[in-house]
Amino acid sequence: MDIVRKRKIESFVALTLSTLAAMSGLFWLVFILGDVLIHGIGALNLGLFLEDPAPPGIEGGGLRNAFVGQLLITLCATIIGVPLGVLGGTFLAEYARGRKIARIISILSDIMVSVPSIVVGTFIYAVLVKPLGHFNGWAGAVALAIIMVPVVLRTTEDMLTLVPWTLREAAFALGAPYYKVIIQVVYRGAAAGILTGILLSIARVAGETAPLLFTSFNNSFFSVNMNEPISSLTVTIFQYAMGPYDSWHAQAWAASLIITIFILMLTIAGRLIIRWRYGKR
Amino acid sequence: MTEIALEVKKLDFYYSGEVHALKNINLPVYKNTVTALIGPSGCGKTTLLRCFNRMHDLYPGNRYNGEIIFKGKNILSKDIDLIDLRSRIGMVFQKPTPFPMSIFDNIAYGLKLRGIKGRTELSERVEKALRHAALWDEVKDKLNESAYALSGGQQQRLVIARALAVEPEVLLFDEPTSALDPISTAKIEELAVRLKEDVTVIIVTHNMQQAARISDWTGFLMLGELIEFDKTDKIFTNPSQKLTEDYITGRFG
Repeated sequence: MDIVRKRKIESFVALTLSTLAAMSGLFWLVFILGDVLIHGIGALNLGLFLEDPAPPGIEGGGLRNAFVGQLLITLCATIIGVPLGVLGGTFLAEYARGRKIARIISILSDIMVSVPSIVVGTFIYAVLVKPLGHFNGWAGAVALAIIMVPVVLRTTEDMLTLVPWTLREAAFALGAPYYKVIIQVVYRGAAAGILTGILLSIARVAGETAPLLFTSFNNSFFSVNMNEPISSLTVTIFQYAMGPYDSWHAQAWAASLIITIFILMLTIAGRLIIRWRYGKR
Repeated sequence: MTEIALEVKKLDFYYSGEVHALKNINLPVYKNTVTALIGPSGCGKTTLLRCFNRMHDLYPGNRYNGEIIFKGKNILSKDIDLIDLRSRIGMVFQKPTPFPMSIFDNIAYGLKLRGIKGRTELSERVEKALRHAALWDEVKDKLNESAYALSGGQQQRLVIARALAVEPEVLLFDEPTSALDPISTAKIEELAVRLKEDVTVIIVTHNMQQAARISDWTGFLMLGELIEFDKTDKIFTNPSQKLTEDYITGRFG
């Protein structure tokens, strides 16, 4: 009898503690999202997307330059980072499967996932900004791409490893060469997982500020020239939030809301793909 | 009538790490017959089967000694084109292995690898293969649906159809019914027997009744050696080796 009572108490305590931990995590999440929503929604207007910034201290203007710059940098980062990540993951899971080199690269990229993004920013500053003599959009895109690569690489590797080996053997048994087995059979089997990894990696870099501060920096004017400094939402939020004007603060809130919604949607899309593809079984 | 399709001569096989898995195997496989390979787990029957389409080449360190003669050539020699070999010697695995694509594309896969691209020709060959594997009536209205929507038995017949589509001369079955229910098993067995009109069938099976039901010739392996090879009737009624008798009467294995 006694021991049962004791276990029930232990169970109750453990349950209470873990529930409290979960609640406190959720509380801050809801608090932050709510705060961004409340402050951001009031500052939203069409001008925000269609107009460029007004001179400092003057009301009005928008963040068209930052939205376009952000999209451009993220797009270029995706174009650079995703193929590298997918091909690298393919190498690890297929051609180097079971070899020591695969293990080493896997571990290194796990470490790279957790490297502080500001370190990547300063690295690119040294490689692509200092030698050129000025901040530029490409440097920002490359910095973000470097953050994306290990994420995409590891997801690709994991997803390809999940495809049963017998499926590859079946394709080999029909006389397919390895590259066709990978492209036509294995990629199809892992497509949803790889796509999810790509979406999540885009979501990961879309919110980065630190690597852009040292690379693409900022530009108060509309520009699509990747060879010049280019504006981005995150750096603009940083600058406007620190600035002295109320109108800047309001626009920073609005920009925060937009970028949060963007990242949230990417993440949810990723989850939905997982559920749609893997939930049925 | 008793033309030889494949002849195994003094075959030794080593897995990487020099594990001696097959020892001095000599065995004829007669054309348009069903040959069954039986034996206890780990005896090397699947290993032998996978020599016929050089599946072992996928893994580094594996090594063959000896010969397997197919159409006058030793298919174990280095200069054999594996892609060509595997299109002549097809394989069906233990678990169904449909590709993650539509039923039609599954069957068309091997055909496309051979460079057959015309829509009409593909359709004709796909239908022919599906009819051949006795699956056509069940799937003709859903050729564009995912192959994963089929039942296990249907998937296995789909995989057989996929192998048949490229018109191989030999078809290897690696315990094709061990993951299936009795009704699906019966269908696959019927199919295997019917297939021997067109192809030579080699089947690895755990199930001795299955070997007795469908095969013309049976090889009994143990610990990497071929203990006995003879007509199936002879093996199951009057085996010449004591070990074979012990195995088929269920004294071990």
